[in-house]
Amino acid sequence: MGQIKGVRIELGGITQHNIKQLKRLNQYIFPVSYNDKFYKDVLEVGELAKLAYFNDVVVGAVCCRVDVHDGVRHLYIMTLGCLAMYRRHGIGSVLLEHVFKIAKSQGSFHSIFLHVQINNDSAINFYKHFGFEIVETKEHYYKRIEPSDAYVLEKRLIPEKSA
Amino acid sequence: TSQPLPPKEKTLFNRILKCYEQKQYKNGLKFAKQILSNPKFAEHGETLAMKGLTLNCTGKKEEAYELVKRGLKNDLKSHVCWHVYGLLQRSDKKYDEAIKCYRNALRWDKENLHILRDLSMLQVHMRDIEGYRETRHALLQLKPGQRAPWIGYAIANHLLKDYTVAFKVLEEFGKTQQNDYYLFDEEMVYEHSELLLYQNYILQEAGLFQQAIEHLETNKEKIVDKLSWLEYKGDLCVKLERLEEAEKIFTSLVNRNPENHSYYQKLESVIKPSNEVERLQIYDAVSAIFPKADSPKSLPLTFLTGPMFQERVDKIMREQLKRGVPPLFVSLKPLYKEQEKVKCIGEIAEQFIRSLEANSKFSPDDEEIEPPTTLLWARFFYAQHLDKIKEYEKALQLINESLEHTPTLIELHVLKAKVLKHLGDTAGAVASMDEAQSLDTADRFINCKCAAYMIRNDMISDAEETAAKFTRENVSIDEYLKEMQCMWYEVACASAHSRANRYGEALKKCHEVDKHFTEIIEDQFDFHQYCMRKMTLRSYVKMLKLEDSLRSHRFYFQAAKAAIKVYIHLHDEPYQPGDRIQDEKESSMSNAELKKLRNKQRRQERKKAAAEERKKNEQHDKSGKKNHTDTILINPSFCNFCQISNPLEQAQKFLAPLELYCSGKFETHYLAFQIAERRGTLLVMLRALLRAQKVAKESDMPNLHVCRVRFAKK
Repeated sequence: MGQIKGVRIELGGITQHNIKQLKRLNQYIFPVSYNDKFYKDVLEVGELAKLAYFNDVVVGAVCCRVDVHDGVRHLYIMTLGCLAMYRRHGIGSVLLEHVFKIAKSQGSFHSIFLHVQINNDSAINFYKHFGFEIVETKEHYYKRIEPSDAYVLEKRLIPEKSA
Repeated sequence: TSQPLPPKEKTLFNRILKCYEQKQYKNGLKFAKQILSNPKFAEHGETLAMKGLTLNCTGKKEEAYELVKRGLKNDLKSHVCWHVYGLLQRSDKKYDEAIKCYRNALRWDKENLHILRDLSMLQVHMRDIEGYRETRHALLQLKPGQRAPWIGYAIANHLLKDYTVAFKVLEEFGKTQQNDYYLFDEEMVYEHSELLLYQNYILQEAGLFQQAIEHLETNKEKIVDKLSWLEYKGDLCVKLERLEEAEKIFTSLVNRNPENHSYYQKLESVIKPSNEVERLQIYDAVSAIFPKADSPKSLPLTFLTGPMFQERVDKIMREQLKRGVPPLFVSLKPLYKEQEKVKCIGEIAEQFIRSLEANSKFSPDDEEIEPPTTLLWARFFYAQHLDKIKEYEKALQLINESLEHTPTLIELHVLKAKVLKHLGDTAGAVASMDEAQSLDTADRFINCKCAAYMIRNDMISDAEETAAKFTRENVSIDEYLKEMQCMWYEVACASAHSRANRYGEALKKCHEVDKHFTEIIEDQFDFHQYCMRKMTLRSYVKMLKLEDSLRSHRFYFQAAKAAIKVYIHLHDEPYQPGDRIQDEKESSMSNAELKKLRNKQRRQERKKAAAEERKKNEQHDKSGKKNHTDTILINPSFCNFCQISNPLEQAQKFLAPLELYCSGKFETHYLAFQIAERRGTLLVMLRALLRAQKVAKESDMPNLHVCRVRFAKK
């Protein structure tokens, strides 16, 4: 939506001081609840977790972690979202572009992947728009919500060629 | 002196003086011992006195006084002994006594510069301005080559309203200065400029406006504070009815700073616009040059009415809601005295919200689409509006709706707490405020607000824990906040303790606030000398005026009010130990736990007091001059405050400054009445009643009526 004037979207760091804002966001955005370890880890990942500010108000966030599997590094998006009233204003795109930037700058990531509930069409379309593909279906991935199945969405990254 | 010393001992004595000046106290005592161990001079007054003075700097106060008094008795004609005694008194802040000592010293040595200077500082500190002038005059005659005597003498005359003399002194002083050195030294240039402005200030106070304006013109080049020059000239033009000139000056001042409200007031008084439209022109002209300036847009709201008001306020609200300015309501709040405007603003806000909810525009025929934050701030504003017009339930509903959409906005939680407070739900208010501060624990303002709300809900230990997140480690909260003179906290605690019948604690806090004011008045001491050196004379004189009526400040008013109420209560119902009501945490403890807690508190207080003693003794060793000697209550048990025989006397002490400085407030006289009633002094009661009547507002009428009835019954 480029036609609204005077919109600023900025990303900010997550610290001990504002971590509760992240908790509130996740509480309102996602049907899944995250435990204390999740938030403890978030404080350690640096640029991999960010708050999104829309006109100086905290409305969204992204939290990633590094996932190593068989010696291959992947970037896993744990949460990415924003409050309902602020969707379709480009915030998700800014958050995802940030993830791409991090992946590129840190190099050596084979892919970026995440889980999406199979009925979340708007999310699936969003990620497909950015080049993600459904590569797997995990049955009963979610414990307490219906449908409990999840798609695994993945975007292959071209790894840096060693000189 | 009646005990002159032979050359050998004289040298030793001079060494003692030098050691004192250089703070080498051990050496000074050594030399003193050398003189005094000689049986011929064992009772030499001046040596004894100096020994005492040196000992005072090492913390041995009692011994010091003994020695000095002994020395003085042995040599009543010694100006040194009197001077030393004066210094001792001064270090204990007994300024009246110190002045007496200095005067006696001067009887034996009229031209002692050191003593004269010391005396003058004390005199201005105690506001003995006549004495100050005398002393300054003496200094001027002794040292006309130095700067300070001239300035001091001028200031003395100024304070005594002898304006012509003050001005002339400064003129003469100006002549004695070489007039070209200042061209090469920036500091001199500044000091000379300040001197000229001070002179001008004196002329203005004297009402000699023509002379003042000519003085400004002659010295235009030498006055570097161009802003003050312009402001003075503008005011003088107004007083001399040179209105066209004044207009030009105030216009140029507005161009310098379009946010200074007083310039607009002055412009209006000079241009004298005849109607709203002409008034508005003044502000619109400034807006045209400074489109981003806030004042020319918002100030007209105070005098516009009807459709013009509506148009302007609508425009401002749109701008600021779009920009997301949280204090929009705060800046419009002064307008809420006029019902018409309240209604107008409310309707505009409501319309905005409806239209934004429907299609994200301020009004249906707008072209521009607004981001969701505009609706958020519009709702926030309207909730504050509802709160102000006392529609608390509606406000809460709106806030809760907004929180569903944007739970991360801290301002919403703070507002919710405020509305709950207005509804009387102090516990709910704390919960909201706590949520607010937890979202941003680096924000000190919210932290303070949270502590304040906790205190109001009588959760004082929780408040301390919250405040501790920002205070220094290893220092107790109370101590730290006392050091920082954080009076809002102390007053809030006093009120809370008082409400819970913990009178001792309440009184302790009130006394602490009173002590802060005493300290602040004390603090001016160093500036008497400093400001004369730095030539910041206008600020100095204004500071003196400020200190003169310091206790008019609302913090003192609040503390005094709380204290007087408690003392009146203690008079009506004398204190019984065991009356104390514990705070929330304590009332849930068992007796055994409570006893343990009390013992722990007593131990902590004893430790604290001992540590303070140690610290003060260390300070004595290190800094000889700063001898802080507040009498410490070794066991500041709260009972000490309550079990006094004459609470009304204490109440009167708190009341006195209120009658001097807060005589426009109803409460002052209401409290005076209550004290007088219990003392049975009918005339004082009547006087308080009459004064109360003069200043009573509608909300005070019930209390006033009660007073009338009680007086009639007497």
